[in-house]
Amino acid sequence: MATKLPAIASLSAADVLVANEPTWLQTWRQAALATFKTLDVPYWRRTDLQAFDYAAMQLSAEASPFTIGANAPTGVVVMPLAQAVREHPAIVQAHLGSAVVASVSTYAAINAATWRDGWFVYVPKNVETDVPLHLIQGFGEGNTLMTRNLVVLERGAHLTLVEQFSGDGGPNSNAVSELILGDGATLKYTGMQTWGANVRHVGHVVAKVGNDATIEWVAINTGAAHQHIEAETNLVGNGSRVDWMAATVASDGQRLLTAPWLRHVGRSTEAHMDFKTVVKGSGYATFDGMIKIEGGSTDTITRLEEHALHLSPQARSDSVPGLKIDTNNVQKAGHASTSGEVDEEQLFYMQARGIPKSEAVHMIVMGFFEPVLDRIPLESLREQVTAAIAARI
Amino acid sequence: MSSELVIKNLHANIGDKEILKGVNLTVKPGTIHAIMGPNGSGKSTLSNTIMGHPSYTVTAGEVWYKGQNILELDVDKRAKLGLFLAFQYPVSIPGVTVANFLRAAINGHRAVEGKDTRETQIPMAQYRKDIREKMAALGVDEAFARRYLNDGFSGGEKKRIEILQMSMLKPSMAIMDETDSGLDIDALKVVSQGVNTLVQDNSEMGVLVITHYQRLLNYIKPHVVSVMMEGRIVREGGPELALELEERGYDFIREEVFGNGN
Repeated sequence: MATKLPAIASLSAADVLVANEPTWLQTWRQAALATFKTLDVPYWRRTDLQAFDYAAMQLSAEASPFTIGANAPTGVVVMPLAQAVREHPAIVQAHLGSAVVASVSTYAAINAATWRDGWFVYVPKNVETDVPLHLIQGFGEGNTLMTRNLVVLERGAHLTLVEQFSGDGGPNSNAVSELILGDGATLKYTGMQTWGANVRHVGHVVAKVGNDATIEWVAINTGAAHQHIEAETNLVGNGSRVDWMAATVASDGQRLLTAPWLRHVGRSTEAHMDFKTVVKGSGYATFDGMIKIEGGSTDTITRLEEHALHLSPQARSDSVPGLKIDTNNVQKAGHASTSGEVDEEQLFYMQARGIPKSEAVHMIVMGFFEPVLDRIPLESLREQVTAAIAARI
Repeated sequence: MSSELVIKNLHANIGDKEILKGVNLTVKPGTIHAIMGPNGSGKSTLSNTIMGHPSYTVTAGEVWYKGQNILELDVDKRAKLGLFLAFQYPVSIPGVTVANFLRAAINGHRAVEGKDTRETQIPMAQYRKDIREKMAALGVDEAFARRYLNDGFSGGEKKRIEILQMSMLKPSMAIMDETDSGLDIDALKVVSQGVNTLVQDNSEMGVLVITHYQRLLNYIKPHVVSVMMEGRIVREGGPELALELEERGYDFIREEVFGNGN
């Protein structure tokens, strides 16, 4: 069997079929391929789409390595999605593509058509666990990785999950993660893009949050040369909530973009977003966010904070926050944004206590990230990430 | 090396505006020296300029301490020389705990050029013991050690933390910039007691107390009182000068120095 698929532009309907997959999935893949062929490349004007050119992508027909980094919690189903298709077909079929639809972009479409990699995490009804599950995805053969992760929490389930992209290779990564939270479920989710320095990463990550369900989302973006992540929290359930934090570090040569969408759909939904960015050298980071409060969403509470620190004059950060309100019953909506160099008064204060300037800057920056890094569930991982960020500042 | 703080003909600007217009002042070791003056006289500019705040530009003059013109030193080097500025408005540093901040400050003081910081830094056990003792002495709850520095602290709490830092860093020359502002009488007593204890423990310590009101000087008793007006020291006297100012206000000095214009 060939380990490489034809070039993406010339993929045929037969090329996307995977041996022994059920008919519904074959049909689903072929429909996604057809969608891919009808779509134009997305209009992402702050992203250099040359970096994500399909012509350069070569898919592997084999799965790429992924590891479970910590002891998996009991009562939770964890396996490659390809295996789950056979072993848990009803659950997979019910949810696959329900959060990230193929038509949302060419990248989502081609991912749906060709994915080989990714994991399936399933927490049955009312199963609660505090043991964090840490999944690490690396590159395998071919220069392009298409991961597809499906995380399903049934009613009342609790899970702490870390999804991490790590290592060198590729350099193309096109990832989809779907996070489905049933009523009353709680997901503590840490998504980490810590790829090696040459990687180009496109991501679609969407959480659908049920009635009275809660997601605590921590995004860590420190790796890759180029990143474009379309992230969405869809507060579809009444009383659903999100606590959404991010730490992004873009240093020399990195262009890291996050486009978080927050949708308030249900009644009495609540969201707190706190996105922190540090740019250094010629690094460039973009926050391109949108908060949408739909007409049926009443008693809504939403708060967005986004702050960027510039550690060198050439470093750039763009912030494009948007807010659309289609209801006249918002309880609270707030936004705070800052961008600039390290505060002169803080530096003076620290130096006046005998702390050298370079160390003072270091402490201020690490303090800036502290509330985000503090949420990383595994202590060893938290220390590792903290040290990795500290080493780059 | 003289541990007198000697300020000679100091001129400093904010932007294009001259605030200090030739300050001459000597603070002797073992002396509590008060500077009093009306609002806008340049008192805070003086303390910030001595410490090296980047918003103030020195256009002329010198500040000597321990054999060096400290205006040539980086801010942290001035601190290492033994200078300490107790801030009027201490800034908050979110994400940096009081304990970590203070440990970095102590290690900054202990650092020796060319030596590995692991050799010079304070042993953790000793640090913990020290901070606990000092917090207890100042009536600061131990929980503050884990809080982010000045983040959400009340005015009184911030000032206590300033004094906590001072008592840990043991400066040889402390500048108290309007330490009494925003303090109620109880906090004022605690803060003053902290300063007095330090002075008792180190008979060579100099203290420059900058204040608008005489009230603080009831608790931190000065040996020398200087009056600052319009960017200059215009009068120097003993503790009785502070009482006279309290009684008569600043106008009589203004009239004596600048004439009453009538």
